[in-house]
Amino acid sequence: MAFLPDESRSLPPPPLLNKGSVWLGFVGWLSALLDNAYNHRPVFRSGVHRQVLFATLGCFVGYQLVKRAEYMHAKVDRELFEYVRHHPVDFQAKTG
Amino acid sequence: MAAGLRAVRRWGLVVAAAPPPPGLAFTRSAFVVKKMNNAQPNWLRVGLAFSTSAALWAFLIKQHNEDVMEYERRNKRGHKCTECS
Repeated sequence: MAFLPDESRSLPPPPLLNKGSVWLGFVGWLSALLDNAYNHRPVFRSGVHRQVLFATLGCFVGYQLVKRAEYMHAKVDRELFEYVRHHPVDFQAKTG
Repeated sequence: MAAGLRAVRRWGLVVAAAPPPPGLAFTRSAFVVKKMNNAQPNWLRVGLAFSTSAALWAFLIKQHNEDVMEYERRNKRGHKCTECS
């Protein structure tokens, strides 16, 4: 199956900076800082190009993953509501 | 991790500045490593990293705007079309 099928574009797209992209961007930045630390370089001031690149990669991957997660959740919700719609007998209100 | 740090310090002292002997050119060995020089940046790699980051951001923002437009286009007609969703 495709990573993001065409019908996933019918969902509202998540904002650019959502919980997934911000967190993975932070993780990418942190891994650049760790690389500086392990190679005896100044942690924050060195390798700015590396910090920017890793943070960007993290944001990018996070955004795609959040889109995929929202699509999977919406798909499961749709199947759930279809089942409820097709089996009304099993889902009567409490008065029944 | 401590062994790696000790090895880095050791490599800093052993200046193996000569190119590896021909027999060892295709092997990966701690004995043929060069001393790292962080004082002179590799400007090619810096430029590539920044340009890749800029390209990734441009692609991401473009894709997000396209997604927003596509969502609004599909839901403008009130789900009457059958070929998109």
